[in-house]
Amino acid sequence: MSVFLSALLNTVQQYGYPALWVSIFIAAVGLPLPIVLVLLAAGAFAALGQFNIILLTAISISASVAGDNLGYLIGRLWGSKALSWLERSSFGKRFIKPNSVARSRLYFKKRGGWAIFLSRFLVAALGGIINLLSGTELYPYRYFLLFDIAGETLGALIPLLLGFAFGASWDAIGNVIGSLSLFTLGLLIVIFLCMRLLRYARGAQKSRQSSPVIQNTLSAAEVAPMIDPPSPSSGHLPLP
Amino acid sequence: MNARLKLMGTGILLCLALGLTVFCAVQTVKDIQSFEQNHKLASSGDVSTIRSWMTVPFISHFYHVPEGYLLESLHITNELSVRHVPLQALAGHIKRPLNSLIHDIQHAILNYRKQYPTPTANSRHAKEPSPGTVERKKP
Repeated sequence: MSVFLSALLNTVQQYGYPALWVSIFIAAVGLPLPIVLVLLAAGAFAALGQFNIILLTAISISASVAGDNLGYLIGRLWGSKALSWLERSSFGKRFIKPNSVARSRLYFKKRGGWAIFLSRFLVAALGGIINLLSGTELYPYRYFLLFDIAGETLGALIPLLLGFAFGASWDAIGNVIGSLSLFTLGLLIVIFLCMRLLRYARGAQKSRQSSPVIQNTLSAAEVAPMIDPPSPSSGHLPLP
Repeated sequence: MNARLKLMGTGILLCLALGLTVFCAVQTVKDIQSFEQNHKLASSGDVSTIRSWMTVPFISHFYHVPEGYLLESLHITNELSVRHVPLQALAGHIKRPLNSLIHDIQHAILNYRKQYPTPTANSRHAKEPSPGTVERKKP
């Protein structure tokens, strides 16, 4: 166990619920704290009777939703302004194509809900970035809050209940959750790349299907002078 | 050419991602096996499962040994000051190496089990002795 995690657990045990709320809030804003492990440990201590599991659940959901909202607000206030500036400035125009910001906003509006929901419990490391991105992309706040609360409820309940059920083995469960989360991330990347590869392959197939027509047209134009030999006035000598 | 480059780049990335995914899958299976082993040991009350994050009350509850007995064997008199302190912090508090502290606790638990062999001592799910019983058993 890292010294950092040990210090965090020590603080949570000594100062109780307020320390837990603050650490979850900080992690939700985007600081990389091992909060899943802390929740697993808190669940284990709740089994001992040191914490109340219902109060723990309420505290972790409220803290993480508050932190996520702060991340969203930062993105909405400053991120969107920075993006608009990049879109307009000559510096940004080198990297961002015209209308690409509007397109990305439309895309995020369509698919962002899943990203928000899944990043709360499945790939928790991406949570802070997704919050900022949601604000920056001006994702509707109502939907953000809905997906956030749903995801965070699962994100709090899973480690707390696992810690509560398995007590002393919570650190081993933490390893399982960590590797499972990485596996899920890898799987999502593989699926994304496969879809991209399929799209490229379809595009290549389409262009191959349309290319013979162009070739035929070109070849007819090119072949014509060879069929009709040039007249002597053109300056070319007729072949023997 | 551009499309071919894109295709090649995506293919290489896909291979890397596949490798990472397979590695993580193997790691997940290993971690699950390790968890099962650890949980089995912990459930049977094996003292090797004592960890640095555990507090004295946690150990007392989990291994069915009176808290007072543990504190006494560690020569700790001020019970309240160490109640919510994990072993790692406790080792720093009493200026002792962590491994030695864990070793002493393991010995104390084993000694207690030798002195008071009960069917509940090695079972995690068994009923914990009542406070009165603990007080009477306390040497």
